[in-house]
Amino acid sequence: MSAAETGLGPTPLQDVRAEMLKGAQSLAVAAPPSQERGITSDLSVDEALLLHAAGWEPLDLVTGVAVVSVPVGVWNWGRGSISMASDAHDAAVDQASRLLRGECSKVHGHGVVGVRVEVTVNPHHIDVELVGTAVRPMGGKDSTGRGTDAALAMPFVSDLSARDFTLLQRAGWVPVGLAFGASFVYAPRRTAGTAIKQKSQNVELTNYTEAMYSARESAMEKMQRSALEAGGQGVVEVKVTEGPMRFARHAIGFTAWGTAVSLVAETHQFVEPQVVLPLDDAVVTFDAESLRSSSQGKRRKR
Amino acid sequence: MAIGDEPAAGSPPPDAVTTTAGGPGGDLPEAAVRRLEADSFSSGLSVPDFAACLDLGLQPVALVQGFCVMQWGWYGPNSGTMGGMSPYIGGQQTPGAYSETYRCPHGFVSNEHRSWGQNLEQPWVEDAWAHGYHTAYGRMLEEAGTLGAHGVIGVLDRVSSVADSGTTEFHFLGTAVTVDGGPPPAGGVPWSTYLAGQRLTKSIEAGFMPIAVVAALASVRVWAYCMTEYYMEGSMGGWGNNMGPALVEQVSKAHMASRQLARKHVRAQLAGDELHGAMIDVVTRELSAGDEVIDCTLRGNRVRRFKDWDPIVLPRPTVRLS
Repeated sequence: MSAAETGLGPTPLQDVRAEMLKGAQSLAVAAPPSQERGITSDLSVDEALLLHAAGWEPLDLVTGVAVVSVPVGVWNWGRGSISMASDAHDAAVDQASRLLRGECSKVHGHGVVGVRVEVTVNPHHIDVELVGTAVRPMGGKDSTGRGTDAALAMPFVSDLSARDFTLLQRAGWVPVGLAFGASFVYAPRRTAGTAIKQKSQNVELTNYTEAMYSARESAMEKMQRSALEAGGQGVVEVKVTEGPMRFARHAIGFTAWGTAVSLVAETHQFVEPQVVLPLDDAVVTFDAESLRSSSQGKRRKR
Repeated sequence: MAIGDEPAAGSPPPDAVTTTAGGPGGDLPEAAVRRLEADSFSSGLSVPDFAACLDLGLQPVALVQGFCVMQWGWYGPNSGTMGGMSPYIGGQQTPGAYSETYRCPHGFVSNEHRSWGQNLEQPWVEDAWAHGYHTAYGRMLEEAGTLGAHGVIGVLDRVSSVADSGTTEFHFLGTAVTVDGGPPPAGGVPWSTYLAGQRLTKSIEAGFMPIAVVAALASVRVWAYCMTEYYMEGSMGGWGNNMGPALVEQVSKAHMASRQLARKHVRAQLAGDELHGAMIDVVTRELSAGDEVIDCTLRGNRVRRFKDWDPIVLPRPTVRLS
């Protein structure tokens, strides 16, 4: 195997000036009218190059949006979890994913990568927007181990970047879908007696700890369940968000999402990264400032 | 005045904002003509981008820009633009534009009851936006063309309101360049791209030549019918006991339509070429429960393949010691 094939040797440099000139010359002649359906993608140049190197090509920018209502009174004071808000969240994510898959299938994509997820929780509706680029293997032959028909019928949805997607594939894994979980909970209240009793104490507020703990676990459990339902063995790139609702500070929302993945190789393939030592590293140098008095010389430049 | 000529005696001061009646600058302000005629180049590129640009054989000519300030008129019912169009009044829809009608399942209830609603594409808003955008873009290209530039790189565009005056300004800025030893583009219209520096170099190496920056706005107005109104305010208006979460079909479809229309409008500008680095931006203005305007802007780089695809070697993963 040559150095270029392994990626160990220097990449042969192209004469970029000649390439630019070639490009400019191609524009000097008016292009004939075309009826072709051009590719659209929100990938960066780097991502597009990587995807091509891994044998995949972008097809189309695809979106999925769903708005699900939250009935009035849901955010009023109460106890325990706010199941209707969680249900609304799950329904919105499901519907947005379905629409995204539908758009992907229309252009014969095998999956969607780099999905941008935006969830907005309003008092009476939860909005979910998914935007990504539909992709397919070059030549149309599926390499995710599912077969082309299965891939076309149920494209995967992944919020992994093209870089992470490529690396994941190299390790023998493939994305199978977005895994989502949400949990909304009322901030627990103490009785007046307990609050007065604890006023001058340094104590753990166990009801708070338990409520938060179970809400976080609930969101993550839902996420894992959705990963299993999608046929995944695990979830990578998990993101967790939490915080009070801006319109109901006594209600706290927890969401967890990531990409469900499945192993298609017989075993995990170690990518064995090469260790590199950059020569442009910052170096601690002598700094005259440090000779000054302690109040002046605290900041040491690197 | 030809490029490089000395300004004639009695020329207006440099800060004068007047417009040329013709000549090399077309309808450019005289200050712009004087700046472009100066014997020096300017560029909005960062130093690394500037270096990469020279490496690519591109010579910066000047910083070029284009503006257009548009007034947003009154688009309500009975306006000059919109005519009598409203789902409550009836009227002709714009031919070929998206619209979807929703009817109340309750029958006649009262005059206040929203017995029907509509999702309606607003081509008059889209056209006004496109006019402002393309006029500003055209003016930037005009400046570049005046200088004999072959392309404009590192384009920045901004759409903003002007001092709360109910107007919108479209502003383009970019660096005009010539290709060393290269021919001018067909038709003399410079190509353009949001990219510069290494990103542009990589795109060229991959075989994609920039053609133009493209953008489109899709605007969808939602006139809520009763069910949408109830769902969006969290109630069923006393019409049912099913108080669980429900998909708000009308609003969801309007959102999808706005994004699909934006892609359709952009695709119409591609003429078979590809769109890279697409950026989608959505602004929703809620007018009342369910009544809203959804504006979706999509922009990106229109590129054309000029050589066969030559995939790079799959890069080797590295771990950085630092």
